[in-house]
Formats: sequence, C-alpha cells, structure tokens
Amino acid sequence: MRSVMEIWRTLRSLRKRDELEAGLRDEIRFHIDQQTEKNIRAGLAPHEARRRALITFGGAESSKERVRDEIRTPVVETLVRDLQYAVRALRKNPGFTAVATMTLALAVGATASIFTVVQHVVLNPLPYPDSDRVITLDHSVPRQNVPRFTSMPPGLYFHYADRARTLAALALYRPSEMTITGHGVPERLPIGYTTPSLASVLRVAPARGRWFTSTEAEPGAPRVALLSHGVWQRRYGGDPNIVGKFITLGGVATQVVGIMPPSFAFPHSAVRVEVWLPDQLSRAAGFGIFTHFGVARLRDGVTVDDARAELTRLIGDVPQVYPGEPFAVGLVTTGGLTSVAITLKEATIGSVTRVLWILLASVGLVLLIACVNVGNLFMVRSEARQRELAVRRALGAARIRIAGQLLTESTLLAVVGGMIGLAVAWAGVRLLVTFGPPSLPRLDEVRLDPVGVAFTLALSTVAGLVFGALPLLHRVSFAAMLHDGGRGNTASRSRHRTRRLLMGGQVALALVLLLASGLMVRSFQNLLAVDPGFDSASALTFRVGLPQTEYTSRDAAATAHQTMLDRMKEIPGVIAVSASTCLPLAGGCMGNTMRAEGRVEPPGTIPPIVSFRAVAGGYVETMGMRLLRGRAIDRRDVEQRAPVVVINSALASAYFPHEDPVGRRVSFGRSDAWLTVVGLVANTTTRALNESTPAPKLFMPMSIAGGPGMPPTDLVSTGPDISVMTYVVRSITPPLSLVPSVRRAIDTIDAKLALADVKTLGDVLDRASAQMAFTMVLLAIAASVSLVLGLVGIYGVMSYIVTQRTGEIGVRLALGATPGSVATEVVRQCALVAVIGVLVGVTGGVAGSRFIESLLFQVSPRDPKVFVATALTLIVVTIVACWLPARRAARISPLEALRFE
Amino acid sequence: MTKGKGDVLQGTLDMLVLRALQLEPMHGWGITERIEQWSERVLQLGQGTLYPALYRLERQGFIHSDWRVTENNRRARYYSLTPKGRRQLTEELAHWRRMTRAIDLVLVASVE
Repeated sequence: MRSVMEIWRTLRSLRKRDELEAGLRDEIRFHIDQQTEKNIRAGLAPHEARRRALITFGGAESSKERVRDEIRTPVVETLVRDLQYAVRALRKNPGFTAVATMTLALAVGATASIFTVVQHVVLNPLPYPDSDRVITLDHSVPRQNVPRFTSMPPGLYFHYADRARTLAALALYRPSEMTITGHGVPERLPIGYTTPSLASVLRVAPARGRWFTSTEAEPGAPRVALLSHGVWQRRYGGDPNIVGKFITLGGVATQVVGIMPPSFAFPHSAVRVEVWLPDQLSRAAGFGIFTHFGVARLRDGVTVDDARAELTRLIGDVPQVYPGEPFAVGLVTTGGLTSVAITLKEATIGSVTRVLWILLASVGLVLLIACVNVGNLFMVRSEARQRELAVRRALGAARIRIAGQLLTESTLLAVVGGMIGLAVAWAGVRLLVTFGPPSLPRLDEVRLDPVGVAFTLALSTVAGLVFGALPLLHRVSFAAMLHDGGRGNTASRSRHRTRRLLMGGQVALALVLLLASGLMVRSFQNLLAVDPGFDSASALTFRVGLPQTEYTSRDAAATAHQTMLDRMKEIPGVIAVSASTCLPLAGGCMGNTMRAEGRVEPPGTIPPIVSFRAVAGGYVETMGMRLLRGRAIDRRDVEQRAPVVVINSALASAYFPHEDPVGRRVSFGRSDAWLTVVGLVANTTTRALNESTPAPKLFMPMSIAGGPGMPPTDLVSTGPDISVMTYVVRSITPPLSLVPSVRRAIDTIDAKLALADVKTLGDVLDRASAQMAFTMVLLAIAASVSLVLGLVGIYGVMSYIVTQRTGEIGVRLALGATPGSVATEVVRQCALVAVIGVLVGVTGGVAGSRFIESLLFQVSPRDPKVFVATALTLIVVTIVACWLPARRAARISPLEALRFE
Repeated sequence: MTKGKGDVLQGTLDMLVLRALQLEPMHGWGITERIEQWSERVLQLGQGTLYPALYRLERQGFIHSDWRVTENNRRARYYSLTPKGRRQLTEELAHWRRMTRAIDLVLVASVE
C-alpha cells in the first residue's frame, strides 16, 4: 500500500516536474536575496553582499540536484530509464525485433484463438444455469445389440415422472419440421415439440412473453408456440407486439405466446430449431415406441450414476404398469432395457472435446517452439552484448540492474508481440468460427472476449519473462568476460551446449506435431477413400414437407410427390429425379425389427434393427447406388402399390446368410402383410463415413408406407411417414443452378410448399468429413509452422556458432584442415543433434499418439510409414538448415579469420 | 523507518527543522536564521542540505508548504508543521533525549 502511494506521488511529481523546478528556482533566489539584504544591513557593499550570500548558500545547482533526488522514487525512475533504453536497443536492431515479435505474435495469437474456442465450446457449451446437472435420458437394450437409444417411449417418461426421486424435473421433446406461411415466402422451419416441463429442466425463461402452461399441452388444447429470436427478427422484423398474435404453422392458426433469448437453441444440433410447440401427449396412448427424446435435471446432491441406477430399477416395474403391452414387456424382460443416461454436455460435445484439446495442445507446442526460438535469439544477442554489459558492470552497474534491463527489453518485446498477437487471435477466432465443423455447438457465438484478451496478454508476458530469463541462467563472471574479451571463442562452450539442447528440443517438438498431422492426413485419405455407396457428383437434394392439414392421406401425399417429381424431370439438364424419406448420412431415421418368412429366431434373441426408407420410383438409379441382384423399385411399383422391397447387403447377411434373398418375403411390426424382396443393393453409409458396421436397410415404395394422420404406433407396421421426403435431382448442369427451376416446378403444384435444406450430394459428403478435415488442416498448419520455426531456429543457431568459431576454424584451416573436413564437421554436429532430437521425438510420439488414437481412421497410431517418413523429413530438414552455415565455414579464409580477431 | 549509522546527521537535521517550525510557519531562509540564532551561531545549516530536507519532510507528510507574501511584499514558500509532523517531533525529541542521556552516562562513567 505504502509503495503504491509512493509511486502515485512520484508519478504526480513527475507530471508536476516543471512546476516544481520553477518553485525551487524561486525559493532559492528568495533565500539568496534575503541573505544578501542581511549582509547589506551588516554593512557590506551590495556587490560583496551578494557574493557572500552565494558562497554561504553553496552550489545552487548541487542543491537543486539533491532536491530532485528527493522528489523521485528510484523504482519508477529506473523503469522509465530502462524502458527508454529498451526501446532504443530494440529499434537499433529492427531485424531481430521484427522476427522475434512476429514469431511470438503468431504463436500467442494462434494459441489464444484455439483457447477462446475451447473455453466457449468445451467449458461452457450449454447456455443454461448449472448446465452440468442436465442429463439426457438415453437407454440401451443390451440383449438386442442396441448400445444406446437416444430416444425413449412417452410411456416410460410418464413412468419416470411419477416415481423418480433423483430427478428434479424431466421433459420430453421431439424435433420435427413445419411450413410457416403468411408474412413472406413459405418457409420450412425446424420445430421442437416439447413438454411444458422443459423450462424447469433447462431453467430458461422466454425473453418476451411466457412459456407454455400445462393445460396447453393437453390433447385438443388450442395451438400456441414460442419463437426463436432468429425467426422473430427474420420473419417479423423484431415486431415488439408479436406476442399474442396468430401465425400460420402447418396450415393451423397458432398463437405466439413468447420469444426465446438469442442464445437458446435447444436441442443442440446442426439444425437450429426455430419454433417450439407444446407436445400434446396423452397417458391414454399407452407405453408407445421410441419416438421422443428425454432430458432431466438432477436433484441437488445426486450424481448421474445415482440417477442411472434409480431409473434402471424403475424400468423393472414397467411390465406391471403396462401389462397389456407386449412391446413394453418384451423390451424389459427379453431386451433388458437399461438406463444409460449421460450429461447433456457430454452428449452434445463428447466427440469434439478431444479434438479441441488436442488442437490446443498442438498450438501450445508451437508456442513452446516459438519461445525457444525467441529465447535463442535473445541469447545470441546477449552474447553479442557481453562486452557492453561487462563494461557497464565494471562501471558499477549492479548485476540486478543489468538483469532488470534485459528483462525490460524482453518484456517490452513480449507486450508488443502480445498486442499483435491479439489481432492474430481475433482473426484466428473469426476463421475458426467460419470454418469450424457443425459438430461444435454454439460456435457462432464465439468471440474474442475479455478472458481471451487477458489470456493472450498474460501468455505473451510470461513468454517474455521466460525467454528474457534464459540468457540470465548463465551466471558468467563479468570480469572473466572483460578478460577474454575478443578471444571469446572458448568461453561460451556451455552456452553452445544449451543451444544444442534447445535445437534438439525443437526437432523433437516439431517431430511430435508432424507425426500427429501425418497420422491425421492418412486418416483423412482413408476417409475420402470410403465408398459411401452412392454417386455424390452433380446432384441436388432438398426436403419438401406436405402440411398434414391439406395432404391428409398417404395416397394424397404420394400423388403430390409423384406429380412434383414428374415436373422436375422436365427441367432441361435433369437426367433423373427421385425421393426418399431418408438419405445416406442422414442417420438411422426410422428403425424397427423385421421378420423373415421361414426363419425362426433362436429363443432369447432379437434380430438386428433395420432402417426403413420409403422411396419414389428410380431411387437406386438416381442415387447411383449399385444394384447387386434382382431389380430396383420403379415407378410402376409405386403406382400399383406393389408389396415389394429392396434390401441392402447388410440386411441380407443378417437375415439371409449364404442365401439368395430375392424372392424371400419379410414382414414387420404387428402387420401380417408379407412383402417380397425383389432386389439387393450395395450398402450405403448411414451416420458417418467411418462407421464400423454398415446398417441393415430396407427400401419400400412410398405408396405402401406410412402417411399423414397415422399414429406412431401404426407406422411401426406400415413404414415411414411420407409427408416429408428428401428429393434427389441428378443433372448434367451445375446442381445449384437448378434451384429456381425446381422452385417453379413446385409452385405449379402448391406455391405454399417450402424447400428446406437445399444442398448438393457433394455437400452431404463434405459435411460428413468436415470434422476430420478441420482437425487435419489445423494440425497440418501447426506442424508446418513448427517445421518452419525449427528450420529458422536451427539455421540461426548454427550460423551463430560458425561465426563465433571463425577464429578457431581459421586456425584449423591454417594448420592444414581442408574446407571439406570443416564443413563435414559442422554438418556432423548438426546431424547428431537432429538424430538425438528425432529419437526423443519418436519416443514422445509413441507415448502421445494414443491420445489421438480415437480421432484416427484405419491408421495405427504407430503407423511405421508415417513414423519413418516424418523422422526422415526432419533429419533432412535439419541437415539442410545446417548446410548453409557449413558452407560458410568451409569458405573462411584463414588469413581474414585471424585478422577478424 | 530504521536509522542506520550514517543517518544520524540527517535525522538530526530533520528534527531541527521540525523544531524550528514548531512555533510558526516559516520560509527556508527563516529556518536557517532561526536555527542559527537559537544555537548561538554554533549550528550553521549547509543550504545544500536544507532544501532537500524540506522536500523530503514534505513528501513524508510531516510538513506542508504554500506560497505566501512576506512583510516586504515578496513571494515566498512558507513551511508549516502538520499534525503528523508534530507527533514525529515529539517522538524524535524523546528519542534524542534518551540518546544524549545515555551518551552522557557513558561519558561520565568513563571519566570516573
């Protein structure tokens, strides 16, 4: 406290310096005048009186100087002087300053930008109070080979809601989509049906208006909705009076009761839900099937494990509560239904967390390499200044003052580097936000915030102190330095050792990064080589959803889809069109178990789940899927409602191993209608390109599938609801140029229909590899930067060592050494450092590669090809970096070298 | 503030200055005059040390200065004791008396 006051007073006195100087001058003049008058009164002549007065006073200047000493505090004064000196020293050496500052700025900026993303996405991904207490109610059916169902039946929700003591609140939701009309073009909006309890689970409140009441969720209640901030701004221009007004959703007048805050985007997925509606669930509907998703908030003091244990115990009572429902009873008794609840945070960012931590670790390594480089530069400089420092020491400067001077210089450089680093971090965050994969939740909200700024500046300051302190580690005797002055060629042996250590360290660090990025590149190549099972070139896809109010039956929906497909077929450039309820890489969509005629399941086992797709005619051909046997579903099957299906290889090998499936009959759900297998197609990817096992799939004509108005329990026996279909338009013209013609084709049928999620099949594939591409590109950048920094660092150090040894080399040349042997000697030293660095790096790489094992695809984390290629690259690069200094050493003329002394 | 060996003189000077200001505010020249007068011209302040002492005492908060006009209509900086300075003076005087008494005792003892 005291010293703070002192500094403040000093600063104030510095500011008032002129004022004080003037005061002092006046005061001394007054003093001398008074003395002179006194002398005159004592009888002296005026001239003599003044002379005496001046003598009595003593040196006026020395008096002033001593006053000045009193009014400053040494610390601040010293700091100011050190800073001035540092600025001068850095400006005198612009090359050094620029290289050091930019190296630091880049490394610090890169680290800070990844840190900012990690901080937002990993540490705080969900915008809810105590979001760590929110869990998702996932279930597994172990005896049916289902490790994790993210969905659950509504009956189970009611069962939990009545009994669970570990949960403070629980809610159900179900994403869907709806067409909004009125107020501009019809738009297909992602919507979320939820129970009113969602607000208590997430603990969020609408920004305007109110949340749903429980009466609004009762079957038959008038329809109400909450809008997202985005749709409120976009469609209604932020109309402050929107609450209470009616909008048309899916053809039904719906009253807006509230607007959610901008950060609210539940459920967190690649598609942002824009409208929330109360799900009008009825207990009378029974147990139901896996149609909904469950979330819950843990009661205080309860762990996820506690909740899981309680829910699994409660599941045991399901057969007593729903005795008349074979599905419910079978699920529990035969399937062994178990709760596998996890936190919502883990469910949302689980897969991407590791990627971000690995990226943060790799930019951290780059920062380390950069610090080593800058530290090296500082050491080189401090050695070049040895004489100067020794002279200053001899003239009486305290060791601590010289250390302070050097630290001031490095800190100043670090602060400037940090400022530029801030700009780099800002740009880096922008780049990451723009190019980040869709699996990063809330990425678009990430900004360089005060925490990030503080992190950047703190990081650069610490870096500055570290590399400023590096040269100080060598407590060289200053007297000795003055002593051997010019002939300092052997005095710095230990410094050469340190420098080789740093060089080897750089090689090792760069190797680790190169290994990681090499493994990622190989994984990415493997991912791109995966056959997705369809032809992604030159095809447009989009979704069209038919409002159930106007297209009330399956036949009406099928006819509408067919008419629109026919219109699109006529667009010039279009080769083929078709539609499906679910495209490859869009997930499992509707899954169910299936029975094969004549096949008896072994008791106690349940056959694998099959993914169902209802398609229009020509789907296999339009998608470019490979037909292996029989025929595909054509337009005639759709028109005649033929009871036929096409299956994929995975389904065939699960249900008809070693048999020709064509001609066999299958059935599913409670239906006794048998469908004949007419064709076999190759597998297509379902969820991800790197999925371990292909999913069994069944394709059926859309005219015999499920349709509008059917209760979910009936869809189990018919097939997917064809109200919403994804269209595929293959053309010889660029796909996106077709959009206006497609829109016109739809308008001729129904101008109120909206196109959603318009993209090419190529986009679908790109999105599937986006996360790995993101990781790979960032790791590759980190690795290249570390390689370049390492190259520059090694070159710099070797050049310096050669310069330092000019005299010695000169003597050796004069004594008969050949230039070749001198160059070889330099390269040999360098190669030794490189090999040791590579050995250390490979050891580190073997230990560290298991951290990225989960990110790799079809590559061993110890892939010998990658290890050998990386190690060779680094050895070659190091030797190249040493080659130039070595050549210079060989060209030294002995005469000049000795004169150089 | 601990007093080292070399500080004795400076400490004494500070005490004398505070003592001179005990009765009334004064300017620098007045202080030298007052001390000279009181000490029967034994103590002659080196002016080179007076002004640094005045600035130091002001910085420490023992005295306070302001510009005033003298009887002869000249502008001069007047120094006055602050309450903190008064306390400091009392303390230093007590300390000084203890010291001189102790030194006297030693001197007397060694003579006997």
